[in-house]
Amino acid sequence: MNGFHNVNNLGSLATQQMMTNRVEVVITNWENGSINDLTSFLSRQSRIAVRDVRVEGNAAIGYVANKKEAEALNKFNGIRFAGKSLKIQVTGGVDNSSPTVKLLKAFLFRRYDPQTKMLNLGSIHTDAELVQKGLFTTISTQSKMFAAMMKLASSESNLVVESVNLSDNNLKDINGITTLAQTFPNLKNLCLANNQIARYKSMEPWKNKFKKLRELLMTNNPIVNERAYKNEMLKIFPKLVMLDNIVVRDAQKLDAIYNFPFKSKPFFFENNELGSSSTEFVTNFLNLWDSDRSQLLQLYTPQSQFSMCSDASVPPSSVKDADQNPSFGFYLSSSRNITKISTDTSIQQKLATGPEGIAEIFNSLPMTKHYLLEKAESYSMQTISYGQVNGFMIILHGFFEETTKPMNVNNKGRPRRFNHGSNASSDKRLSKKSFDRVWVLVPTNYGVIVASDMLTVRPYVSAAWIKVPDTPATINNTAVPMQQMNQPNFVPNTTMNQQMSPPILAPTLQLPPEIQARLSPIQLELLNKLHVDTKLNSEYTYMLAEQSGWNYDVAFKGFQSSMGQIPREAYIQ
Amino acid sequence: MSSNQSGIIQTFVKKILAHLDDADPQRLNSFLSLFNQTGNCKIILNGNPIAQPTEFLTAWQQQVVQSQHNLTSLDYHIIPGSGTLICDVGCKIRFDESGRNKLDQDAVVNPTNTGTTSNAGGIKGRPFWGPFHGVSIQLIMDDRIFKNDQNGVITAINYNIIYKPDDSLINLE
Repeated sequence: MNGFHNVNNLGSLATQQMMTNRVEVVITNWENGSINDLTSFLSRQSRIAVRDVRVEGNAAIGYVANKKEAEALNKFNGIRFAGKSLKIQVTGGVDNSSPTVKLLKAFLFRRYDPQTKMLNLGSIHTDAELVQKGLFTTISTQSKMFAAMMKLASSESNLVVESVNLSDNNLKDINGITTLAQTFPNLKNLCLANNQIARYKSMEPWKNKFKKLRELLMTNNPIVNERAYKNEMLKIFPKLVMLDNIVVRDAQKLDAIYNFPFKSKPFFFENNELGSSSTEFVTNFLNLWDSDRSQLLQLYTPQSQFSMCSDASVPPSSVKDADQNPSFGFYLSSSRNITKISTDTSIQQKLATGPEGIAEIFNSLPMTKHYLLEKAESYSMQTISYGQVNGFMIILHGFFEETTKPMNVNNKGRPRRFNHGSNASSDKRLSKKSFDRVWVLVPTNYGVIVASDMLTVRPYVSAAWIKVPDTPATINNTAVPMQQMNQPNFVPNTTMNQQMSPPILAPTLQLPPEIQARLSPIQLELLNKLHVDTKLNSEYTYMLAEQSGWNYDVAFKGFQSSMGQIPREAYIQ
Repeated sequence: MSSNQSGIIQTFVKKILAHLDDADPQRLNSFLSLFNQTGNCKIILNGNPIAQPTEFLTAWQQQVVQSQHNLTSLDYHIIPGSGTLICDVGCKIRFDESGRNKLDQDAVVNPTNTGTTSNAGGIKGRPFWGPFHGVSIQLIMDDRIFKNDQNGVITAINYNIIYKPDDSLINLE
């Protein structure tokens, strides 16, 4: 039966035996030597032969004879080779390449059609090869094999499955196949026809599991004669449209009910100029916020306001990467979350007005690192013009990492009773946080001032606007480069007033287009004013503005003091 | 100045959230009256600009299932000299995932009489609340609100869903 009676087969069986026992190892950090040097070095040191070595990127991948050798080789992890310590990893367990696993893998790929994204697991017990190997003959091995097969399928990223056929498998219930829901949670079509499933109760493990299942086929199962069959199936599969080839839900209505009409878009800018200037502002601001907050204080006037608000409500655990145990120790004392504060005095106290008060809160917050450039996809921004202050509002949602403890801890407005039982190590742990920050900016002749700045800090989560790729193959294109943020996907709405549209330049002020494109609306406005006030021509106006560091007052004073030396041709002719 | 500004603002924000959660189309008009009607009201929802408050409220009423907002954080600044204030609101929202819209209609074709989906008695079915999503809202409004004048005070609203649970049936993409 297994071939051992045939003497002629012994040689090949021995090879096969060897092949199935061998274990894969991955070796990295060997760049300073050749691949041959590496293998001979290892065999000298460990007395273990690494065979069939190939190079993939900076890793050398090879095989050792068995698990025992792999374990022995693993002890040499970190050994010095050509000036670097080698990293040896045993990646393939023996089980991974066992004949059964190979057999099941081969079976899976034989039954998978990439064109239709369909995995056909119909009448497994009649599969010639599996029957020959004695698998799937009894119910008990069948359900074990099914679980193993599902596990294999979920580790195979090449299997993109939308439809599964499980017809003709003598199934009495779904107990043996419940894992299907974990392996393919986004399954769209499922066929269970020609089985012996009798009770809808047995389908309940799948309740709310297949959230995208559109079609189910259960014909030729006793269950279809149950009185409440259809209603029960509708309850178990919330988005089911076709049941046994009959339309049970109106697909259009269903889509209308479950699709939120306002799709998540990470960026909104009221117009293009607002987009580029606010992107620039936020990038520069957060750079300084992370490195040297005191430099930001020049943006705040004595009337500017800042407050911080912590929202410690923990998101559900089903939110991707949600921090279930956030620590807000550094924030609570300055938090101006007015849903949590009862007295107006402390609400007033926690609002900082003017650079001094603002600096105090800035210094009481942990030092941070934002990843605006490295992980641009984790940030979302909206800008809206704000007519009543002749400025605009920038809203940024994203995350930061806390790098070090705050410069000084703010204890103002925190009654002593809170000191009791506070556990510094867990309350004041540094971690990642998500945040929303709102700036109200007012452009002035000198640049821009921050009229208002509100920061909400909340537990870290993976953001709602980040698109989860459907197939693992597209993972590489998820990052949105920062340049794209400058190209808003929005056509200005004519009904909105356009406070920040580019200023209308005097007809005598003519700038080369490439220079004009580089300038922010604020700079253009300064140029225009300078041009009109000094009567200098475009070229000289630009020179003057640039030399004065884009400061109108400095520029105008400079103009006045050197008026005598300015040549005649510098003026508008 | 009145010393209870924060109380007024908190009540007003809760009122807005309650309006968003209200399934009764009869009360739409009183919600609409809170928005600035001069055609200059800015509404951005998940990054999508909406030209008119009516358009926003109609879409919310007709295309979004019943919701429930819970206020979790609130802060505000009064911008001196502008006659306005800005609010930064954090809240959680969950949706009715029973498969029925605000009018209690579902997508089932020919519901059988044994079904739980029929609406024979005309009594609205109990909502089946899904898991919570996170929401961040920014508002610009007139300071007339402190004088008990809420008519057209909202001049801008920026509403963003900031996190979503994987096990929700609601599709945001």
